[in-house]
Amino acid sequence: MLAGIDYFIVIAYIVGMLLLGLYFKKFVNSSEDYFLGGRSLPFWAIGMSIVVSDIGALDFVGVSGQAYRYGISVGNFDWVGSVPAMLLAAFIFIPYFWRGGMYTIPEYLGRRYNKSVRTIASATWILFFALDLGVLFWASAVLLNVLMGWPIWISIMSTAGVVGLYTYFGGITAVIMTDVVQMVIMFIGGFALVYLSLDAVGGWENMVAKIGTMGPEYQSHFDIIQPVGTKSPFPWTGILFGLTFVMSNAYMIGNQSIVQRCLTAKNEWHAKASMVFGSALKMFIPILVLFPGLMAVVVHPDLADGDQALPMMIKTILPPGLVGLMFAAFFAGLMSSVDSLLNSTATLFTKDIYEPFIKNDADDKHYLKVGQITTLVLLVIGVATAPISSDFPGIYVAIQTFMSYFQGPIFSILLLGIFWKRTTQWGGLSALVIGIGFAVFLNVFKADYFTIEDPFLYISWWSFVLGFIVNITVSLLTKKHSDAELEGLVFSSKIITKNKS
Amino acid sequence: MLNFDWLSGVSPETAKMIFFGLYILIGLLVLSLPNEYIWVGIKKEDRHWYNNLKIWSVTVLSILATVYYQF
Repeated sequence: MLAGIDYFIVIAYIVGMLLLGLYFKKFVNSSEDYFLGGRSLPFWAIGMSIVVSDIGALDFVGVSGQAYRYGISVGNFDWVGSVPAMLLAAFIFIPYFWRGGMYTIPEYLGRRYNKSVRTIASATWILFFALDLGVLFWASAVLLNVLMGWPIWISIMSTAGVVGLYTYFGGITAVIMTDVVQMVIMFIGGFALVYLSLDAVGGWENMVAKIGTMGPEYQSHFDIIQPVGTKSPFPWTGILFGLTFVMSNAYMIGNQSIVQRCLTAKNEWHAKASMVFGSALKMFIPILVLFPGLMAVVVHPDLADGDQALPMMIKTILPPGLVGLMFAAFFAGLMSSVDSLLNSTATLFTKDIYEPFIKNDADDKHYLKVGQITTLVLLVIGVATAPISSDFPGIYVAIQTFMSYFQGPIFSILLLGIFWKRTTQWGGLSALVIGIGFAVFLNVFKADYFTIEDPFLYISWWSFVLGFIVNITVSLLTKKHSDAELEGLVFSSKIITKNKS
Repeated sequence: MLNFDWLSGVSPETAKMIFFGLYILIGLLVLSLPNEYIWVGIKKEDRHWYNNLKIWSVTVLSILATVYYQF
């Protein structure tokens, strides 16, 4: 439990976030302000927000634990698993979405394919995001309970109150600007831990030498490329095909909570720059989350569970004051994930479900109110379902895993949708449904088909491949779209030679 | 086939060269984009080397390639 200065830092952080978020209430006068920040935000804020939303407190612990068990190859997720995809998004996909004035990715899919594809994609994201909320509320409650000694329900209500208030009133502008502060805190806390941990293990060279003498299971801890035959979940084939070609692209191009941020940019250059700047920041994430796990191999070599690596390093390495800052960084990770989910889910529901199916002729103020009410409803659902998480300890991993099964098929229809004019609505719909079904099938029977520990990278790749093939086959058998229907939705060399913004 | 056993003969060193090749390819693709496209949204008089997104992208890719070279 925290005390003294650490306690003060965590409280000051929470109150500061609330006040900062509420400050942005005055900029919200329309649904565009609420969902897209009035398309007025600068690249640096968006880039920082993308990075901090991508890495949550649970990832801090999980990635450190994997680095403890498998070594530096975990860093592939933030290096090759992010940077190429972010550059592809910056220069090809984001300009299309930004120029089209879109609010959601399913909105693009609806225009490119049909309403069913839009609805399936949107409903799937809404379901996963809503489930995730409860898990994150529970995680933050446990953190506050352990650190501050607050009862679980007070902890849940505090998180929901703070994040809910500024997201309800300030919309995505409040979400992004609080993310900026949260990223700064996360980087300061993380780098302080890395610096002091390096000092504790006697420097980098010393750490490498010590781990090298610890036995055969540690011999590949500093190999970023793992062979095909590795038992770890990160063989280079999975990293290249599953992660680099599919999952990272699907995440950076097809994930509403990421792409929506770029759509808030004040102009097209800022939209592109936000992704490129974000990719530069992403390169530092493995240093923050992976290195403490590696150093824990030297400091705490006998941990039964690798996920204890980071908490143990914080406990034994950091002095008072920095412990509070590090836990504020943890809390920052959780808050940024929760506010992103709230705002993105409200956007998906309002734009993809409410507007097309329930009321499509209302004035703008009406949709602003719907977005705010949806945020409130999601808060209630998150709070109500939070305790369920305690009964299912693996639920976070399960949700993330199922989300990964959605990635392959969704990327296959995005890729073909933008690069191949002949893709039809029925091709896209079939690819989405059959691809997701195939991913679920492979997961259920993974023991029969795969030899590595957790084949989610391979499942993403093969469900992408099947979605791709199904999309092409069905498209060739069905009626193609007219040029007028495809205008502004399919890649053309004109986009890089015509200035439309 | 699903486990990529057919690529088990590829050594980690060769695999590393594949990743390097990927970074070079992406770098070349970024460099091949027309300058006008990179600057969309920025007035002509405000275009400088420090807000050239090609330079940003190539810098990021170079750092990434260095990391993979080190490990």
